[in-house]
Amino acid sequence: MKIKPVVLEKINTRHTNYLIDFEFETNITFIIGDSGTGKSAVFSFINEFSYEEKRLRCFNYIDYNKNYKQSIRNSKNKIFVIDNADILLDDGMRRYISKDVMNQYIIIGRNPRGLALSYDEIYEIESSESNDIICFRLKKALI
Amino acid sequence: MITVYKKSKLPKDVELIRLNDSYFNKFTAALLNDNAKPIIKQIDRSELLNKYSFASRFDGTGLNIDKLSTGCKTALNIFYNADKVFDISECGENALELIYSFEKGKVYCDYPMIPFNLIRAEAFDGGKALVFNDYEELKKWWEYED
Repeated sequence: MKIKPVVLEKINTRHTNYLIDFEFETNITFIIGDSGTGKSAVFSFINEFSYEEKRLRCFNYIDYNKNYKQSIRNSKNKIFVIDNADILLDDGMRRYISKDVMNQYIIIGRNPRGLALSYDEIYEIESSESNDIICFRLKKALI
Repeated sequence: MITVYKKSKLPKDVELIRLNDSYFNKFTAALLNDNAKPIIKQIDRSELLNKYSFASRFDGTGLNIDKLSTGCKTALNIFYNADKVFDISECGENALELIYSFEKGKVYCDYPMIPFNLIRAEAFDGGKALVFNDYEELKKWWEYED
């Protein structure tokens, strides 16, 4: 189900010389890409930003045995950032997320199965450097 | 040659590692030697500076090896722990290509994860091992649930 972002249209934050400049077009932003392109680094910078932006909730493999699924199901007006999604999101959670219009999602993984996404909801991370600043942006994935 | 395990044929006594980041940080990191350099170079395009740090591909700064990508950590887990089975569901195509070129190692995924340039892989099929050198044939075996 393709809807506009319900919480945030942009995330703009900085971690030393790394800049995150993300613009969202849809409520679920699924990020794929080769290993080593900066996906988990971006996750850690957004996680740090969550101290400032209270609507952000970040989960990764460290939360594997924690109650993140219930946390998602009980939330409203939050933006969930989920790294290691191929491990963390089972079929039931994928179904839930695909129908959830109360929260927004940034999902980092390999396999978007079960999320009812179209090709233009799948993104890659693009990095560029200028004056020692490394900027990460989203671009549509070439699938 | 790499050995592939699938859900319906995974022996009960096999130790399956699903959280590659955690396993790497706790166990594999301490095993790294010069053999890790080309793996890190090829997958993360980074240089290993010493046993526990590497130069970031983005700006060259030194980072602890816990910041390697999950795909790179998975490849290193498989390379240094050939007796254990590792979930490869988080590996990108670049990591998969390298993993499938290893002389030995064991991998698992709930669904087919095969590099497009597959040369050869062994599939664990219960009591016997099947050798595949064709992407489509291995994919077909992986998807078939008996």
